[in-house]
Amino acid sequence: MQRILNALVRFRNPVLYFFLLGISLLFLNGNSNFHKSQLEKYSLYFSESIYNVSNKIENYFNLKKINQKLLKENEVLKDLQLKSNRIPLYPNDLKIKRRFPFKVKAANVIKNSFLNQRNYIIIDKGYADGISKEMAVISDQGIIGIVKSVSKHYSSVISILNQDLKINIRLKNSSAFGTLSWKGINPNDFQVDDVVINSLILEGDTIVTGGMSSYFPLGIPLGKISSFESDNKSGYYKIEVMLFKDPSQVYYVYVIENKDIEDIKKLK
Amino acid sequence: MNRDLITLLLSFAILVLVQVMVFNNVNIFGYINPMFYLLFLVIYRFDSDQTIFILISFILGFCIDFLSQSGGAHTIASLTVGFSRPLLIKYSFGLTSEIPSTFQNDSRRKNKFLFLCLLIGIHHLLYFIIVYFNWNASYLILKNVILTSVFSLILIALVSTFYKKLNDS
Repeated sequence: MQRILNALVRFRNPVLYFFLLGISLLFLNGNSNFHKSQLEKYSLYFSESIYNVSNKIENYFNLKKINQKLLKENEVLKDLQLKSNRIPLYPNDLKIKRRFPFKVKAANVIKNSFLNQRNYIIIDKGYADGISKEMAVISDQGIIGIVKSVSKHYSSVISILNQDLKINIRLKNSSAFGTLSWKGINPNDFQVDDVVINSLILEGDTIVTGGMSSYFPLGIPLGKISSFESDNKSGYYKIEVMLFKDPSQVYYVYVIENKDIEDIKKLK
Repeated sequence: MNRDLITLLLSFAILVLVQVMVFNNVNIFGYINPMFYLLFLVIYRFDSDQTIFILISFILGFCIDFLSQSGGAHTIASLTVGFSRPLLIKYSFGLTSEIPSTFQNDSRRKNKFLFLCLLIGIHHLLYFIIVYFNWNASYLILKNVILTSVFSLILIALVSTFYKKLNDS
C-alpha cells in the first residue's frame, strides 16, 4: 500500500494529466455530437476487432451445440420437404388432402464402411429412440439405406453401397420407373435398370425415389443421369447414374418411419 | 508572493475574457482566430510546482471551452501543453544551462522564440486535430495550424515584452 502511494506521489503529474485528459475527453464527448459519433466510430472499430476474435473462439466451442441444433431444425425441414416433394410430381395433389404417413428422426453416423461390396452403416439411435427394423435412412441429399437390425441405442443400416439393395426410382421429368443399384466400385457410380425403352430420357435428367416401396417417400432427389444406351434386344435402357452426394461421406442422417408399413404388409 | 498571486489571478481573468470577447471574434481572412490566452502558460513561473500548473492549465482550457462553447478541444490542447511544458523548457533553453525562473526575465531571444514556437505549435496542432477529428481534413488542419500559429506567435511575443516592462517598473 505504502509503495502504491509512493508511486502515486512520484508520478502524480502524469497521473493527474491522464485523469484530466479523461475528463476533458468526456467533456468533448458530451458536448459535441460530431465528436461523439466520431469517437463511437473509432471505439466501434476497436471493439469490433476484439469482439470478432472472441466471437470466433466462442463459436468454435459452441460448434457441437450448434450442430445439434441445426440437425434438429433440419429434421423438421426434412419432414416438410418430403411432404412437399409430391406436389411438383403430382400437381393434382394440391386439391386433394392426402395422408402423409412418414415421420423423420435425426441421427449421427458413427461407423460407415464403403470399401466392401456389401457395406453397412452404424447410427447412434436405437429402439429406445423409436427406431425399428426396415426403416429408411436418408441424408440431406439422397438416400443412405435401410435399417437392418436395432439395439437399444444403436442401429445397423444396410448401406446403399450394397449390391443387394435395389431401390425403386423414377425420373423427375418423365414418369418412367426403374430400379437403382450400386455397381460396386466407385461410391458415386450407380446404374438404373428396368426403364422401358419407349420412355424419353436425356443425359442430366434428375432421378428421384419412386414412392413405390413402402420404405422411401416419393421425390427424394438422388442423382443425375451421366450416360445411357438403349438395348434393343431386352427392351430396356442401360443407364449410368452419378449420385448428388457421396454416401461414404455422410455424417448426419435422417431415419424415416412409415407409420403405415404394417397395413401395407398385411395387404401383401 | 501575494502580489504575484493577485497579478496571476488578474491576468488569468483578463486573458480569458479578452480571448472570448475579442480574439474569438477577430476572424482574420475570415477564419483565423489567434489564441491569445496561451500567454498565461508562457508567463507562468517556470520554477513553480508542476502539479498545480497542470491543474491551472486544465482550468484555463476549461474556462475558454466553457465560454466559447467549443466542446473540449481547448481543454485537451492546453492541458497537454501544460503537462509537457517542462520538457519544452528543457529542450528550448538547453539541458545543461541554467533554466530561467520566468519567461520574461530571460534575455536569450533565440531560445525564447523557440520555446514560444514549440508551445504554440503543439497547442494549435492538437487543437485543430481535435476540432476536425477526421483524417480526410489533414490539409485543412495543417493550413489552419500554420496560419493561426503565426498570428498567435506575433501577438504573444509582442505582449510578453510588455509584461517584461511591467515587471521591471
